[in-house]
Amino acid sequence: MHAVDSPTTPKSPAPPGGVTPHRAGRRPGRPRRRLGDQRTPWLLSLPALAVLVGLLGYPLYRMVVLSFQNMRLRELLTGRTPPWVGFDQYTKVLTDPVFWTVVRRTVVFTVVSVLISVLLGLAIALLMRRVHRRVRLFMIIAMMFVWALPQLVAAQIFKWMTDADFGVVNYLIDKLPFVEFKNHSWFLSPTQGWIVITALVVWAGVPFLAITLNAGLTQVPKELLEAATVDGAGPWQALRSITLPILRPLIVIVTTLSVIWNFGLFTQPWVLRDSKVEAEYQTLATYSFTQAFGRSNYSLGSAISVVTVLLMLGVMAFYIRQMFKIGEVD
Amino acid sequence: MVATATRPGRAFARKRKQAPDAEGTVTVGRSKSATFFANLAGIVFSIIMLFPVYWVINTSFKPGPEVLQFTPSFLPEHPTLDNFISAFKAPLFLQDMLNGLIVTVLAVLGALVVGFMAALAIARFQFYGRKAIILIVLAVQLVPFLALLIPLFLMLQKADLTDSLIGVSITYLVLLLPYTVWTLRGFIAGIPRELDEAALIDGCSRFQVFWRIILPLTGPGLVATSVYGFIQAWNEFIIINTLNSPEKQNLMAWLLQNQTNRGTAWGPLMAGAIITSLPVVIFFLAIQRNIAAGLTAGAVKG
Repeated sequence: MHAVDSPTTPKSPAPPGGVTPHRAGRRPGRPRRRLGDQRTPWLLSLPALAVLVGLLGYPLYRMVVLSFQNMRLRELLTGRTPPWVGFDQYTKVLTDPVFWTVVRRTVVFTVVSVLISVLLGLAIALLMRRVHRRVRLFMIIAMMFVWALPQLVAAQIFKWMTDADFGVVNYLIDKLPFVEFKNHSWFLSPTQGWIVITALVVWAGVPFLAITLNAGLTQVPKELLEAATVDGAGPWQALRSITLPILRPLIVIVTTLSVIWNFGLFTQPWVLRDSKVEAEYQTLATYSFTQAFGRSNYSLGSAISVVTVLLMLGVMAFYIRQMFKIGEVD
Repeated sequence: MVATATRPGRAFARKRKQAPDAEGTVTVGRSKSATFFANLAGIVFSIIMLFPVYWVINTSFKPGPEVLQFTPSFLPEHPTLDNFISAFKAPLFLQDMLNGLIVTVLAVLGALVVGFMAALAIARFQFYGRKAIILIVLAVQLVPFLALLIPLFLMLQKADLTDSLIGVSITYLVLLLPYTVWTLRGFIAGIPRELDEAALIDGCSRFQVFWRIILPLTGPGLVATSVYGFIQAWNEFIIINTLNSPEKQNLMAWLLQNQTNRGTAWGPLMAGAIITSLPVVIFFLAIQRNIAAGLTAGAVKG
């Protein structure tokens, strides 16, 4: 401001007066502060690191070790070191056709449920841009309630709604002409059972996706869309060549997250099958859990967990890379 | 979220209202009937989404015989609070509610203290190993906790911490820590560095800067993070169900136990589910905006 009023006189003393002492004051101060800077952040992170290493790192290590041993109920009760068995658990797991069925089922479920959820979420997000303000508010409120619901409670509601005798779903479908659905048991046929599970997962997952993607859509410059329309682009073309490319980073992140979440599916089959998951409804997570705690085969369960983590490693690394980039930005 | 979603929404609506006069040709494909169908689709979608929520509320107010009716009533014919009363009177319900509160509060407080310090280090210092810490925090967030349940169970068993609220609290603390660090880091990074520097120049010590500048300014972030942590810990049931006996579990585990034990008592069970979800839903609605931001921070900006 001074510089504008009287360009010459205050300007020349300003640089030496304003900048140099600042630098001079900083230069000797810096090495000292940096020494402190090296120690303080480590001291600050120490408790968190200790907790993470002690209670996540060590169990992770123990899980791997355990998968090379044979820990059964006897070792658990006596506290004796379980016998080492080398790769036996892995051989057992990897040559077991049941395991591969479970892997295939988990992968298929993940692909199908993520595809439906993300596409539906995107469609709803786009719909939210088209509707009246009040309708949009209604949609947001409806989705908020669903999103806020605890997983276990949501699963219990679905269990109750698809109850064979008194479930409202059977009643409503039965109302349709030419359909006999009284006392229909949804979980007798695995296909139908999985439809219920997928519906539950999609229903619970769409709010996060739609609301997040809708927030992303507000960032798409309207001018671009208008320019495209003026240039003769149809709505579909505008979506494909403008909206989606801009939204891409966000879509990538929410899809990755959905894959990670749905791959670890546990609660829904567990609750819908009354904590006694049948072979047709096992996912990798429930399978490992039942092997370990249901059959006291802790080592086998660990081996399955290790394989699960390895299967997910690629997706996780991808997510971390994305988040890391973001973390570097600010 | 409601606030953020409506703010750009409102701007959008205002723009659209002006559109017909100013730039009428641009609203191609926004014919009246298309808008009508869009609105209709939005309403139908919302009703489908809300139906299960409505159904659990509906069920919880029905007396026993009305719940088990071949033709379900869409509004309770004889509304009653019996289900809620019987849920409260059910064995272990209050006990497990208290357990859940203790475990959750301990875990959240612990994660907040430990996490704030680490977040401060990551957000405010450039130091050797900073990236490694960020990497650890992010990676750990993705480890399927269920996979660690087996060794964790064995470890806590050895330390005599199974069937104890302390053991579960510690486990939950670990569960919440990565998210806590990551979100608080964002909040701290949002505070202008110039404030720290000004305070340092004015003669504040480093500690005073943390205590008097950063901590109060992170207040809303601390609240949001702890509320999210509360939700997470409150909703957990697999760990506590595996580690502890029913006397030392929380309400979620109670719900699961009751579903398995009393197959057809859907009325009290749904009432219990509502009581259990209520704090979570309220908390969630209060801080929703931060949850989405924490999971996808910055991705929008690309």
